[in-house]
Amino acid sequence: MLDYALKKSVQLVVTIFGVVTLVFFTLRLIPGDAASAMAGDTMSGEALELLREQMGLNEPILAQYAAYLRDLVTLDLGQTITTRLPVAEMIGKAIPVTLSIAVLTIVLTVIISIPLGTVAAYMAHKGRARLDNLLTGFAMIVDLMPSFWTALVFLLLFSLTLGWFPASGMVSLDDPAVFLSRIALPVLVLSVTQIATMARITRTSVLEILSEDYVRTARAMGWSEFRVLFRHALKNAALPIATVIGLSFGNLLNGTVIVEFIFTIPGIGNLLINGINSRDYQLVQTLIVFYALLFVTINFITDIVYRALDPRVTF
Amino acid sequence: MTYQSDVAATLLEVRDLRTEFDTRTGTVTAVDGVSFSVAKGERIAIVGESGSGKSAMAMSLLRLLAHPGRVAGGQVLLDGRDLAGLSERALNAIRGREVGTVFQDPMSSLDPVMKVSRQMVRPIMRNLGLGRDDARTEAIRWLDKVGIPDAARRIDAYPFEMSGGMRQRVMIAMALSCRPRLVIADEPTTALDVTIQAQIVAMLKDLTAEAGAAMMFITHDLGLVARFAHNVAVMYAGRIVEFGPVGAIFAAPQHPYTQSLLRTIPSVDGLRNTRLAQIPGLPPDMRRKPAGCAFRARCAVATDRCARDLPELGPRPGGLAAACWVEGGLTAAPVRPEPRRKPARIAPGKRMTVEINNLVKHFEGRSLLSKNRSVVRAVNGVNLRVRNGETLGIVGESGCGKSTLARLLLGLEQATSGEIFIEGLAQMIFQDPFSSFNPKMRIAGIIEEPLAVQRWGDRAERAARVEDLVAKVGLDPSHLDRYPSQLSGGQRQRVAVARALALNPSVVVADEPTSALDVSVRAQIINLLADLKADLGISFVFISHDLLTVRYIADRIAVMYLGEVVEYGPAEDVFDRPVHPYTRALIDAVPIPDPKLEAGRSNAPLKGDLPSPLDLPEGCAFAARCPMASDLCRTEKPVLKKHRTSQEAACHYAN
Amino acid sequence: MANETADIRQPRLRLPALSLPRDGVWGNRKVQIALMILGPILVLTALAPLLPLQAPLETNLRATMEPPSIVHPFGTDRMGRDVLSRTLEGVKVSLLVGFSVATIALVAGMIFGTLAGFFGGMIDRIVMTIVDIFLAFPSLLLAIGLVAIVGTGLVPVIAAIAMADVPRFIRLQRSQVLSLRSRAFIDAARTVNASQGWMMTRHIIPNTVAPMLVAASIASANAILVEASLSFLGLGIMPPAPSLGNIIRDGQTYLQQAWWISTLPGIVILLIAFSLHFLSDGIREELDPRARK
Repeated sequence: MLDYALKKSVQLVVTIFGVVTLVFFTLRLIPGDAASAMAGDTMSGEALELLREQMGLNEPILAQYAAYLRDLVTLDLGQTITTRLPVAEMIGKAIPVTLSIAVLTIVLTVIISIPLGTVAAYMAHKGRARLDNLLTGFAMIVDLMPSFWTALVFLLLFSLTLGWFPASGMVSLDDPAVFLSRIALPVLVLSVTQIATMARITRTSVLEILSEDYVRTARAMGWSEFRVLFRHALKNAALPIATVIGLSFGNLLNGTVIVEFIFTIPGIGNLLINGINSRDYQLVQTLIVFYALLFVTINFITDIVYRALDPRVTF
Repeated sequence: MTYQSDVAATLLEVRDLRTEFDTRTGTVTAVDGVSFSVAKGERIAIVGESGSGKSAMAMSLLRLLAHPGRVAGGQVLLDGRDLAGLSERALNAIRGREVGTVFQDPMSSLDPVMKVSRQMVRPIMRNLGLGRDDARTEAIRWLDKVGIPDAARRIDAYPFEMSGGMRQRVMIAMALSCRPRLVIADEPTTALDVTIQAQIVAMLKDLTAEAGAAMMFITHDLGLVARFAHNVAVMYAGRIVEFGPVGAIFAAPQHPYTQSLLRTIPSVDGLRNTRLAQIPGLPPDMRRKPAGCAFRARCAVATDRCARDLPELGPRPGGLAAACWVEGGLTAAPVRPEPRRKPARIAPGKRMTVEINNLVKHFEGRSLLSKNRSVVRAVNGVNLRVRNGETLGIVGESGCGKSTLARLLLGLEQATSGEIFIEGLAQMIFQDPFSSFNPKMRIAGIIEEPLAVQRWGDRAERAARVEDLVAKVGLDPSHLDRYPSQLSGGQRQRVAVARALALNPSVVVADEPTSALDVSVRAQIINLLADLKADLGISFVFISHDLLTVRYIADRIAVMYLGEVVEYGPAEDVFDRPVHPYTRALIDAVPIPDPKLEAGRSNAPLKGDLPSPLDLPEGCAFAARCPMASDLCRTEKPVLKKHRTSQEAACHYAN
Repeated sequence: MANETADIRQPRLRLPALSLPRDGVWGNRKVQIALMILGPILVLTALAPLLPLQAPLETNLRATMEPPSIVHPFGTDRMGRDVLSRTLEGVKVSLLVGFSVATIALVAGMIFGTLAGFFGGMIDRIVMTIVDIFLAFPSLLLAIGLVAIVGTGLVPVIAAIAMADVPRFIRLQRSQVLSLRSRAFIDAARTVNASQGWMMTRHIIPNTVAPMLVAASIASANAILVEASLSFLGLGIMPPAPSLGNIIRDGQTYLQQAWWISTLPGIVILLIAFSLHFLSDGIREELDPRARK
């Protein structure tokens, strides 16, 4: 186990280093350079030169790289070019918003999708295919709906037509009630897709386990159907499901970008889109690195926890 | 009509049980009207090949069939109460409590993420109404009874921390722990080694007898049932074709199928110079069951009536019942002795096809943190010779290194040290023919591959050679453009043999070539190999855990234990006068299809499991399980040396 | 032992030419349903110029935001453009993106995955380290990042989406090769001294193609969704050139007044993605009988 964790940690460090390096050098591949791309056509030659100087673009590339790594490690992320605000501060403000959306979505997803998938698997196992087909068919369609489209439909339905949720307005963590009412719809949109995915995966895993020999053993010992399903089957399925939750975190992050954009919620996704539109490469670069770090770290943690919880892995 | 022994009151009565599976290609009637009864305390064996419906029948009793299987009709009367009509909830009170079940594969039949204690204690609490502590004590008592060492501690182990034999013991403890009156054991020893099998069977017999429980033992191994059953039911194509007391079934079977099955099994003391009797053809496809008797296509005495009418069980001499229109079955026809087997031409003198000197293969596990690397000593200093035209049989339990030895011979593994000399080419027949074929290739391509790789001849010559090979192994040439999935197990193994012969090898290594095959097909393949051996004069290395088959086909036998050869000599000598205590134990563990002989055998199975090849003991590797081990054995390793004229054994106390 | 009889299949019957095939991939119900949805969409898209529809870029300020009617089955947008005609033009883009991305991912995945899996060692380590780095980015975010740098438009979008899929395909192919490499039929080929090239071309690659095709058909559906998302965010196909994503974006502002502009093209995306998934499901069922319910 320790061996495995060590090996994975080394891998994680290599990957993170690779991500950082990749992002840095890709940005340097832009025709012209970042400064001129950023400046567009509006800036004079002198101003551009000043910008270059500020961004350190006149240094040798390896020196720039070293400085960049040092800044990252010390969290000295510089200032945005357009607003002149410290990048670290901007991201720091946006992170809690995005994370609240993500965490709420995960909680909602787990609460709904796992029982749903388990019941569907049970139905399928018993050959009562009609309900299962309905459920899986529905899950498949929802799963394939583009999240921005779902968001618009929800917006139209729940906000504009039914008026249940505010469509816009300030988002601030200071007032939890207002905050929740503003992120409720985005969470709902993301959850619908996530629930569909997770319910399908739960169904597949549990269904597979229901035909295992040890489930038959449990039934032969007179365990009730309920106990067989939730004690034996779900417990065994929990481990693969946990891994998938970790992996689907990537899709969740993709989704937050979309819903934050549509519902104008000031999370890191919105920050990213605005950064791209204002050609703020300093900000975009940092955000992309941040997303990748978040994603690989979550996967690393689920992987290790998964292994630690599985008694079959010897220490 | 229901047949039962008149030992005691009836416990279980099955009436006209039918089980169906709804598949995409139609309804399969797996169990087609089965009736029998079991008395209190009786041990009944249900014998049949795969697809005979024996397991489906047993699982139907408690409705443990997985979808799409379902009980389509009939009654299952336990003490007069019909289980087929009970609700799932009512049935749960019977499962475990009244009827305990032991399943085939101990490796997959216990929940891998639950401790043994959790799997055992709760059913005991519920079924016997005990408190948690009492239930735990009871569970430990049972684990102790089934021979789990240090049961009080091991009860909190996870199943993966135990060997297959240990897990099967846990299964048995679980099945018996709620004091059921009937124990259903569905092929409980099929996945286990022969010495462990002997332990498990003996234990099941003793414990059910002690508890006064009846036992229903489902198996494909007719030989195994002679050891313990009172009554035997033989199933074929979903029906019981013969039923009766074990003595009569073995002494004078009445149904042609039972009669043929008994003849196909090579015997311990039987003649080696006649061909094995074989049942032609294959069991019927249960999706398109023929009218009349299902066995008639393979039956030597079938009449017109067999094609028309389905025979019911009818009384026969010896208290037997058989479902056959021909009174006496095969005995009605004149007995034709099996033709003599062609003797192999073993080249005299010292010409060796295979010479193995001091062969060692260690597998190393690596670890980032700890410095001590774990070493598995799979093959640990083996010396063997195979003469031209000779067949060397290698026997031993799983983990003894016999398969690694085969892979070394074929160059599929690199030896750690030692030498292998092969004059000519070695080829291999794999254990599972299906996985040894590329599923995307047709049979013709599979057989042609060795020729094509070696650029042997041109396309037409190769095609001719393939036709030739196919004829040699007795395969219909029309199968050449099929895919492996479209052939039966026996046909696939014929293809494997043809491929192995394509390049005219000097030695063919066959690793468990018949273990994936049904009993009735097994003899066909063994006869084929025996014929080829005689006709082609090539050497064989025949690796198997099936001692009777090895005895039949091999000229010399090497017995392996934990990577070493512990006994080596002519096949008959090794079997009839074993020198090494391990060889003796192995032979003793082999079930003999004869209740009288079985009764006279020393039924003291070998104790314990195979030690882990990770930490081998210093002295004799067998010392821990050996009844005659002394301090000498535990400290000093015996070497292989000559005993009698032709046998060699590695034991301090041989003779 | 269990499949002694189970695996024997009867030779397939030849069916009369005109009836629906009942066997093989074409006879699979899911494949049939998928083709019944995909077929009309393809035909309509191909025939779009011949249909009596307003051209996709043609505006008509006298008929803005008209609800669906016979003349404009999907209605018109803010500039009086025909939404159906624009949608069909968008489908063309979607399908082009889906097909290109799947092809790139398939080819690159086959090449690098096979090399990494078959030869192992240093090649494997280098390829997999790079794969891991790319897999560290959530797919849409990788595409967003790349488009942000390279710029918008059809080719950058295809490249950006393919960038996220290629590593996944390499990984899949590699794991397939690894598991095939330990199969007994590879051992059988080794015993007759078959060369590495022989084993790769005769045994390994033919057995990996089918699952890769299944993955490619799913990847094409996902690529269509990602392209739509990018265009929706204003980072993909730029207006006035229509794409399903930017049509929906256009309609976003008028959601209350003209719901059809956003919703109807969305349903078209859904139908395409759905049928591609169904197609891959059906193919998988036919190739692997165990996948059937």
